[in-house]
Amino acid sequence: MRALGSERTRTPAELEAVDDEFVDAPVALSLEGVSKQYAETTAVDDVNLRVREGEFFTLVGPSGCGKTTTLRLIAGFEAPTMGTVRFGGNDVTGVSPEDRDIGVVFQNYALFPHMTVGENVAYGLNFADPPGGISSDQRVADLLELVDLEGMESRDPDQLSGGQQQRVAIARALAPGPDILLLDEPMSALDAQLRERLRVQVKHIQRELGITTVYVTHDQEEALAISDRVAVMRDGAPEQVAPPQTIYRQPATRFVADFIGDNNVFDADVERVDRGDGTSRARVHVGDQPFDLEIEGGTSLEPGDTLTFCVRPEHFSREATTNTFTGTVESAEFLGETTRVTLEWQGRSIRLRTTDPLSGDVTVGFEPDGAHVVDSSRE
Amino acid sequence: MTETEPTTGRRVRDSLERRALALGALGTTVLLVLMFYYPVATVFVESVVVEGAVTLAIFLDLLRDPFYFGDLARVFAGESPVMVAQDFFSSDRKLGIVGFTTYQAILSMLLSLALGLPMAYLLARYEFRGRRTIRSLTILPFVLPSIMVAVGFVATFGQTGTLNGVLGLLGLGPVSLMFSLEAILIAHAFYNAPLVARVTTAAWESVDASAIETARSLGASPFRAFRDVVAPQLYPAVLMGGALTFVFTFGTFPIVLALGGIQLATVEVFVYQLIQDLNYAEAAALAIVELVISLGVLYAYLRYEAKHTVRSRGARPLPRKSLRPPTFSARELTPRVGLAIYGVIALFVFVAPILSLLYRSVAAPTGGFTTAHYQFLIDRQTTGTAYQVRPWPAIRNSLFFAAAALAVSLPMGVVISVLTTRRYRGRKLIDVVAMAPLAVSGIIVGIGLLRGPVFGFELGSYRLTITGALAIIAAHAVACYPFVVRTVAPGFEAIDRSLLESARALGASRTRALIDIELPLVWPGVVAGAAFALAISMGEFSSTVILATGTNEYTMPVAIERFIGRRLGPATAMGVVLLVVTSISFVIIDRLGGESFGL
Repeated sequence: MRALGSERTRTPAELEAVDDEFVDAPVALSLEGVSKQYAETTAVDDVNLRVREGEFFTLVGPSGCGKTTTLRLIAGFEAPTMGTVRFGGNDVTGVSPEDRDIGVVFQNYALFPHMTVGENVAYGLNFADPPGGISSDQRVADLLELVDLEGMESRDPDQLSGGQQQRVAIARALAPGPDILLLDEPMSALDAQLRERLRVQVKHIQRELGITTVYVTHDQEEALAISDRVAVMRDGAPEQVAPPQTIYRQPATRFVADFIGDNNVFDADVERVDRGDGTSRARVHVGDQPFDLEIEGGTSLEPGDTLTFCVRPEHFSREATTNTFTGTVESAEFLGETTRVTLEWQGRSIRLRTTDPLSGDVTVGFEPDGAHVVDSSRE
Repeated sequence: MTETEPTTGRRVRDSLERRALALGALGTTVLLVLMFYYPVATVFVESVVVEGAVTLAIFLDLLRDPFYFGDLARVFAGESPVMVAQDFFSSDRKLGIVGFTTYQAILSMLLSLALGLPMAYLLARYEFRGRRTIRSLTILPFVLPSIMVAVGFVATFGQTGTLNGVLGLLGLGPVSLMFSLEAILIAHAFYNAPLVARVTTAAWESVDASAIETARSLGASPFRAFRDVVAPQLYPAVLMGGALTFVFTFGTFPIVLALGGIQLATVEVFVYQLIQDLNYAEAAALAIVELVISLGVLYAYLRYEAKHTVRSRGARPLPRKSLRPPTFSARELTPRVGLAIYGVIALFVFVAPILSLLYRSVAAPTGGFTTAHYQFLIDRQTTGTAYQVRPWPAIRNSLFFAAAALAVSLPMGVVISVLTTRRYRGRKLIDVVAMAPLAVSGIIVGIGLLRGPVFGFELGSYRLTITGALAIIAAHAVACYPFVVRTVAPGFEAIDRSLLESARALGASRTRALIDIELPLVWPGVVAGAAFALAISMGEFSSTVILATGTNEYTMPVAIERFIGRRLGPATAMGVVLLVVTSISFVIIDRLGGESFGL
């Protein structure tokens, strides 16, 4: 078993770290001990997740982490090797996709090329009556309006731009009034600007309909921007499940700290621990450089332990009076609003953000509460 | 969210729909077993069971018989291979029937490659008016009835054929090509060179221009770039063309029957001969030896293919060159002059037989034109006796069998395409089992059906027999459906899985998704498959001639073979009738669909 296995068993509390808004909402979808094995690989490894009604839940991770397989298990396109999938308490593990009341949107739009936009959106209404007792035509018109494509019924899919096609795909998935909307990297094929616009629109639609949504992406920025809660996946299982702010500010593991946003991760030796109420302070060493860190909550750290902490680039400043050190500018990328500077310090690269150009030797530092301890190693 | 209790009717329909695919698979399996595996197994059993005891004696006798295996038989009989090899390289070697069949198949393969590869080069690398048309036409020989082509070749190369006519006008000749190995080889090339060209052109067109440009930018000369980048992507296609040519010409029958005469008989002709002599056991054994060799070659090829196939799809293809040379330099002129010479040869091999067929059907022996041959057909129709072959029943039978074979093979082909393009364990096996009829000659299927189902099934105390007509339909369906699969399966393969999954997620059952999404998208392939199936059925000769012997179920190809025994004229006239009926049917079906993919 990986060293992180112990991490996982430690985090049921985190699995329940629901945004306040959804704490009382009933569970819409749950995975219980779900695994998916292929001939030689384990794509999904003993996953336990709960998604609440109306929640926008995102699975994010690098390619091969099992996020898409997890979505396909929820959709019923794949059968789990082990475990149970429940929709609102009902076991749907063996149920065919067509009987699950789901809507699915794929990365490549997957519009039926031989049907018009209207026929595409209406397709699901062959198998379910439109919600609210309205006619199919009305339902199609309503949904096209919802995705800002009113009056496009008679167009062929190939007459539409990528962004428009994806919105048709969303309208099509929503038409039969599914209980759960599943989106598999729906924006990956679009260019950056369009992606941001559609992101806002998807979030808006989801809010308006209050539909439980599971979203898969490899783009951590997108995950943070759009979600109520995010599961960061690695090697077939979530490493941390939490609202975006928590994922960003308090990554539970080194992997999450590295994967989400720009970050600087340090391994350090603990010299001294001052326990206080609420927060503790630790004096640690990275090489011979001492750092003072603030640790939230209690800690079991003892002098002589090692720990891992991270500091976001924006927490470094040249005005800081604590935790200062001097490095040499290795590279500077001008990004417009800010400049991303890489400092070479003690053989490692430190990333930070500045507004003015830097070169040569630079002294920077960070406040003790600008650091976050991610992983107290217990070897 | 919209939970409404489904009505009973809907529930029944749903459950039927759910099982439709499984039922289709079951039906296909049953048909395959009844129409193919059971009859072929009958043949196999017949060759190893003598008077109730299992024995390999028939095979061993066959292997040791120099008549079949030539000098190789002495090795099977226990002589030292070294001695035999020495004799083999001396001048008076004996090949035997099997040896000769192999020999002519290898020569046919080489000739087909020699004629097919320049065509591929022309079609893949040059742009000219009619390129697309010629490319489409390369499929034509494949569906032309072989007996008709054989008649066309007789009309071209016969003693009084058009070739000698033309040579006579030039003060040359006459040459005698009939009943010679050359005639057979050219006829085989007529069939198989376009196939070689087809698969090679497809591979050539999928070569990515940027790969060659990369090679050139790294310092490779045009020739090196061709050798290092293009050629490796062509080998698998060339080999596939070669392997298929070998298999097809190894099992050659109507062409050799019509063009070869008894001194050039191949295994298949002998199998037919043995059946005529009612020597079923030896016929079956010989047919199985043939099958083993064919399957061996196919297997070797598939092994190679699995290892070597490189596919660069969605690549930017190489730009085509104009046939008109941009400059008159040697580098630009040489390939074009070569292609011009090739064009003349190709015209001779591919166009002359068809033109000769048309010409000879209206040519009077004394010169000038005549309608006598068609008149003969009409006379035969009106005054022919019951046991004589008459044209109208032949046309009617051909159309009926073709329609019936289509009705069976089209759904079968579609079901097998669905089953073999979805990913699951054992898919390859199903693919092989379903495609086996492609490698098994019509003769074997014919004998099997004759000795099996036509003779009767034992079902408890009942004996079920099927009629000759049903057996012919079965044999035709078996011959047709692999072509349906070959044209339909690529379409299924090309459908994005997410289309199907979207339909499923929206509430469509597997069968509904097949009907609503997949079939409309692969429809051009289905239509092309239907056109193929029709043409194959109309031209089918090997099994039909066995099953139709002594019955009124004869088809147009069988009628041609009967006529050819007497005089060429009526046979060419009947050949033209077959050509016209097949072409019209082919065009009608093709008009129903758009462009097609696949083989």
